[in-house]
Amino acid sequence: MTTVHDGEPGAVSTTASRPRGAHPLLIFLAKRVAITAGLLLGVTVVTFGLVNVVPGDPVTANLSDQALNDPAAVAAFREKWGLDQPLWAQYLHYLGNLLHGDLGHSQQTGRAVLDDLLHYVPATLELAIPSMVLALLIGTGIGMLAAVRNGRLTDQLVRIGALLGLSTPPFWLSLVVLYVFFYQLGLAPSGGRLSTDFSPPPTVTGMYTVDAALAGQWDVAWDAAQHLSLPVLVLTSLTVAMLVRFVRSAMLEVLQQDYIRAAYAKGLPTRVVLRRHLLRAGLVPVVTVSGLAFASLLSGTVLVESIFGWPGVGQYAYRSATALDLPAILGVSLFVALVYTLVNLTVDLLYGLIDPRIRLS
Amino acid sequence: MSVSPRRLLAGASALATLAVLSVSACSAGGSGGNANGAAKTLTVNTSFVLKTLDPGRVYEATGLTAVHALYDTLLTFKGSDVSKPAPALAESYEASPDAKTFTFKLRQGVTFADGSPLTADDVVFSLNRLKNIKASPAVTVSGLTVTKTDDSTVVVASNTPDPNIPVVLSMPSTAVLNSKAAKEHGATDGADAAQGDTAQQYLDTNSLGSGPYVLKSYDPSSQVVLEANPKYWGTKPQFSRVVLRNMDVQTQKLTMQRAESAEISLDISGKLLDGLPGSLQTSGVQDTVYFLFLNADPAVSKVTSNPKFNQALRAAIDYQGIAALYGKGAAPGAGLVAPAFPGTLPAGEESKRDVAKAKALLAEAGLTNPTVKFTYPAITYKGVDLGTVATKVQGDAAEAGIKLELNPQPLTTFLDEMRGGKSPLGFTPQSLNYPVADSLINNMAPGQATALRSGWTVERADPAVVAAGKKVTETLDLAGRAAAMQEWQRLMNQSSPYLVLASNSSIVVATSDLTGADYNAAGWQVDIAAVGRK
Repeated sequence: MTTVHDGEPGAVSTTASRPRGAHPLLIFLAKRVAITAGLLLGVTVVTFGLVNVVPGDPVTANLSDQALNDPAAVAAFREKWGLDQPLWAQYLHYLGNLLHGDLGHSQQTGRAVLDDLLHYVPATLELAIPSMVLALLIGTGIGMLAAVRNGRLTDQLVRIGALLGLSTPPFWLSLVVLYVFFYQLGLAPSGGRLSTDFSPPPTVTGMYTVDAALAGQWDVAWDAAQHLSLPVLVLTSLTVAMLVRFVRSAMLEVLQQDYIRAAYAKGLPTRVVLRRHLLRAGLVPVVTVSGLAFASLLSGTVLVESIFGWPGVGQYAYRSATALDLPAILGVSLFVALVYTLVNLTVDLLYGLIDPRIRLS
Repeated sequence: MSVSPRRLLAGASALATLAVLSVSACSAGGSGGNANGAAKTLTVNTSFVLKTLDPGRVYEATGLTAVHALYDTLLTFKGSDVSKPAPALAESYEASPDAKTFTFKLRQGVTFADGSPLTADDVVFSLNRLKNIKASPAVTVSGLTVTKTDDSTVVVASNTPDPNIPVVLSMPSTAVLNSKAAKEHGATDGADAAQGDTAQQYLDTNSLGSGPYVLKSYDPSSQVVLEANPKYWGTKPQFSRVVLRNMDVQTQKLTMQRAESAEISLDISGKLLDGLPGSLQTSGVQDTVYFLFLNADPAVSKVTSNPKFNQALRAAIDYQGIAALYGKGAAPGAGLVAPAFPGTLPAGEESKRDVAKAKALLAEAGLTNPTVKFTYPAITYKGVDLGTVATKVQGDAAEAGIKLELNPQPLTTFLDEMRGGKSPLGFTPQSLNYPVADSLINNMAPGQATALRSGWTVERADPAVVAAGKKVTETLDLAGRAAAMQEWQRLMNQSSPYLVLASNSSIVVATSDLTGADYNAAGWQVDIAAVGRK
């Protein structure tokens, strides 16, 4: 059970009775783990159901036209993938494997879905982490600037810019960025994670820039960083546009609080007011939005990944969905649900760090 | 509130500058990037259609391109010519007069990439495995029996006369694997191979062939890297390394516009060819036919099953205008066989528009302003948005008094609907799985599996069409078959439920320094090992 303290959004407090001596944080985490397990189970039920009710048959999506005319080939495919079993039996079989950590194999490629996810997630992380860090720094800065300049030209420009950013389709921005920085200026590579003359570094984290640096392959690391630049630029721009509006409105709200006026009234310098009071209080709602933005980046930015040829979760999800590859679709759905859950948990825990008034009780 | 924001402004500006610098600091320029090894690497950009590199299962374009470079087949095609198989692993072959038995004499001294010799046992194993796995390409060899008479002689026998067996045995899926190594990694050629063969995952990341290249790395979302096979028995390829790179088609165009050397693109066709620099070279042939299919089953549609409506719609369409939508390399469609393949109808035999005739036919059919649901996949195929073509068909039909209700569908839904035989009217592109046009008869002639999806039974068909199809399959010499195929298409154009709109080219775009970058319609698109430098 969670309640909100002091009117702050998202504040966490556990009020249910608990065993004597158990730390509230542990109880809180245990509950969240239980909720997560239930949530993931629900995701499997819903996804399994949805994939099986949408028009389209995995057999027709995966076999050639000629093979479809051959009953033996169709029967072999159905038997191999258990599609000849009743739906409930297929689901129970999937669930049984899931409990053993087996996400099944992709009907398209025959590869283990877990291996695929472990392969594609680092590529997405390599895009998402720098995009998020840059977006947070830039978005917070610009949002605060707009708030303190409320109603003036700077504020108007920031608001227009943010609106334009939010209205910009990611694929269009990707193409524009490619056209300008790759085609016209020749400053960045067009796509992929590495130039074709390089081989990927030995896998440690799966992130090429990190792995190449760890292996001392600085030329590979530099090349990988160059390949990151354009997709990161696009994702950063889009995330900044989203953050700026939230930061601005959150900061404006704080700026109207009595304690800010009091701080100015007692003669505190502006920089101190901004850092000690405005930034800290205004960040609470921003953290929530940032969490969602980061989860969104991690769960796949399909079009951006597609245009930049980036082999991440988004592309994997897209390919799986278009081929009605049930095990892969379920695997991606579970991953996305897990990401959102973990991000929400992190956000809840961060509240306490940002605002001391929010505490687990 | 009068708060000076200078510090904030400075911070935000610094961060923004940093972000811009992170881009502008980059200096890769061309997609090839670093000059290290640039002369040795050939980059092939393509929008991946890739599920596997297992020859027994490979069926998609990108996989076929790679497998052709990794493995040898008994026969092959050279350059763009798909009319006559050329020797590969088999230095010669003999066909029996009844076209049921083909005897292949294997080349001596061929070794796999691991150095072990290639023998007749490997050929027998590989073809039987292909047949028994029952994956997508198995249909091409389903009626064949493969045996060896000695270590260098293989006999392929067919249940029925089939002069096209040499063509089938030129296809990448008939590639010869190192049987001993394959068995060690789970491969089997037994009758239970559909369930018992577990070699796909190994074969996706390791090649077991005798081809000019070996597989270095495989990522179905990103890139496939090939390296020259130092033990290759034939002419060594000029590029020691080839990278097949997954790239969106728009990005391919931008990339090729900046490419300076050793780079190929496989998906720029149609209108996308407009604006390419003249320094790039292109190679292509019309290998794709776009057609409408009308359901001949009155239970599905009383309108489309009416032969007069069929003829009215044929007369209503502006074929020249539709071909223009496809851009360079397209032409109004004549018959179901695309110009790339033997047996195509000559230019000039395409259908012609006659709106007055269409209206008269509708009146004869007793139909006034008929309305038909028109289903098609909402995709862009080879640079052409099918929705644009469908809208043009809709407009043409409207001028003759036919109302088409556009029903775009996701590809999988469209395929399901089409194969379920429920669409009154549909639109789809079609390429041949291998360069034998008369395979169309096995699918699209009255009563065959694909025809039945349009409700076209033998009873509903003109007996002349049935007889013409039979004549094709009974003709054993290939030139005679091609002529019979043309006759079959002429009759199909008169009464079949298929209405050919246009044919379009697949194109290989290459930088000017390359040689041998010829488009091949046999499935592998371009023979990577044949690409060299001027």
